[in-house]
Amino acid sequence: MRTFRVIKAEITKTAKIWLTYPIMIIFWGIFPLVWVLPFIFQGKAFVGGLTSESFKTLTGTGNYLSFVLLGAIISTYIFSGLWGVGNSLREETYWGTLEYMIISPTHPLVILIGKTVVEFIYATFMVATQSLVAVFLLGLKVGLHQLLPVVLIVLLLLVGFYGLAIAFAGFTLLVKEVHGWVHTLEWIFYLFSPIRYPVEVNPITKVISLLIPLTYALVAVRAVILLNKNILSLGKIILLLSIMDAIFLAAGIFLFDYLEKKTRRLGTLAMH
Amino acid sequence: MDALEVRDLTKKFRRGRGLKKREILAVNNVSFSICEGEIFGLLGPNGAGKTTLVRCVATLLIPEAGKILIFGRDIFENSLWARASIGLLTSGERTLYWKLSAVDNLKFFAALYGLTPKERDKRIEYLLELLGLKDVANERVEKYSSGMKQKLSLARSLLHDPKILLLDEPTLGLDPAFSRFIRRFIKEELQRKEKKTILLTTHYMDEADELCDRIAFINCGRIVDVKTPEEYKREMPHKEVLEIRFIGAVEKSAIERIPTVEKASVFSKDGVTTLKIIAPHTEEILSAALAVLGNENKILAINNLQPTLEDVFIHLTGASLKDDLREYTGDEE
Repeated sequence: MRTFRVIKAEITKTAKIWLTYPIMIIFWGIFPLVWVLPFIFQGKAFVGGLTSESFKTLTGTGNYLSFVLLGAIISTYIFSGLWGVGNSLREETYWGTLEYMIISPTHPLVILIGKTVVEFIYATFMVATQSLVAVFLLGLKVGLHQLLPVVLIVLLLLVGFYGLAIAFAGFTLLVKEVHGWVHTLEWIFYLFSPIRYPVEVNPITKVISLLIPLTYALVAVRAVILLNKNILSLGKIILLLSIMDAIFLAAGIFLFDYLEKKTRRLGTLAMH
Repeated sequence: MDALEVRDLTKKFRRGRGLKKREILAVNNVSFSICEGEIFGLLGPNGAGKTTLVRCVATLLIPEAGKILIFGRDIFENSLWARASIGLLTSGERTLYWKLSAVDNLKFFAALYGLTPKERDKRIEYLLELLGLKDVANERVEKYSSGMKQKLSLARSLLHDPKILLLDEPTLGLDPAFSRFIRRFIKEELQRKEKKTILLTTHYMDEADELCDRIAFINCGRIVDVKTPEEYKREMPHKEVLEIRFIGAVEKSAIERIPTVEKASVFSKDGVTTLKIIAPHTEEILSAALAVLGNENKILAINNLQPTLEDVFIHLTGASLKDDLREYTGDEE
């Protein structure tokens, strides 16, 4: 009950602060509608349309636009989580409120779980808007029977990923640097996982992509939606994501606890 | 049983990298204890280690050595329990959500302190009324003055009705009216009515004198002495203080070489230098002091004063409370 109250308080606080920045609301209202345009123009410029035979030999689908749309929608959770969860404690440092949260009798991990839930709600809102635009305006075909398997795959991706984001939040407390690290991770994900292009196009990216859980989730989601595969045929991927979840979540919690204590030992908790 | 006990506490900071790496001993083997219901002051100049000590007690810093006990329980072994027993108030305006109202700020922190909605609403209403913030309770904090923000911070530190309060420079930067209000509130409301145990840090001697039952002088991370304000003043019954304010500069050591001078301190602010000399009979050393100052310094005022707590501090440490001993400006004040 107490944990629930902390999470609810965090949601209320974040929403109220967010609503005081009207320009951000306008930006995030419009952004989901326009972000995809460069991809459409890029695809058309390369292949004269939105389907490609050479693309099909690599991915199993010739529909370049649907491939990119799914990559962008799913990766929204990842990038929003990296910024939102990873940066959340640093943000409290800028506001001067972090120490007052830490000295409360609520475990810092519970506070971070609250922030993760806020981020999940926010990202889900973004993803829902993007998905509606993709389906109704850009012709992405998704059957109702495909929704449940996709939600399952995304949840499996997020449990492990939020574990990493929690560790990252502890790391940013220690190193006092968020932007550089988030941008680095963003570009690692862009380069080595199939968000915008099939990693099979290059042997190096193909190998490295195997280390990134996002790769497996994207492969599975695209298999369900674009290739109409049954979730049971993706058993290996589901198992792999489940194992990664257990490892990343446990490692994330352990690392956060260690890094938060180390920051208090070094005396740099409130430092900018 | 003591409400708060600090045993052999040592806290070091490591600063710099490579060859420039160095260790700063912020708190050096400090011990003291505070009785229930007592206001215990830590008085010392900036950088003396006061804030570091308070942050250790608040569990925001983990010390290298020593123990801190609250009602006999180790705070690092029972950190969540200890945090529920402690309220913290620091100086500085940036400790609240400026985009939220007072009520929203307090509601958020009440959730962190585990208050139920019913307890929370009752407590918030009581505290806002008590601190005179009821009329502005729903206004955004960014519109508040510094004093109002400090009152709201004080309300937050009292939300969970803690037994122990850590007040770190509670009146720093406030105008005289708000300072008076905060001081009266600490003495009347928190100590007399609510019987809180309070650890107060300050470098204002009059604040320490007015509020504290006992004072620990702290300098360079060490506790120099612990006594009541009256005991400190009784230590210097046959001493006088000569204060000379002038424009210019003087070597402290040159003044201390004058016969019968016991201690001297030199402090400059806004182009005016204040020289304080402690001696048994100040009229006997006045002409010698003026000779050391010479014609190149422009004398503004000469006063013969009774010793204050600050003079006792100078007498004990040779340092002034107005000195700034900081080596770095991170966590330390």
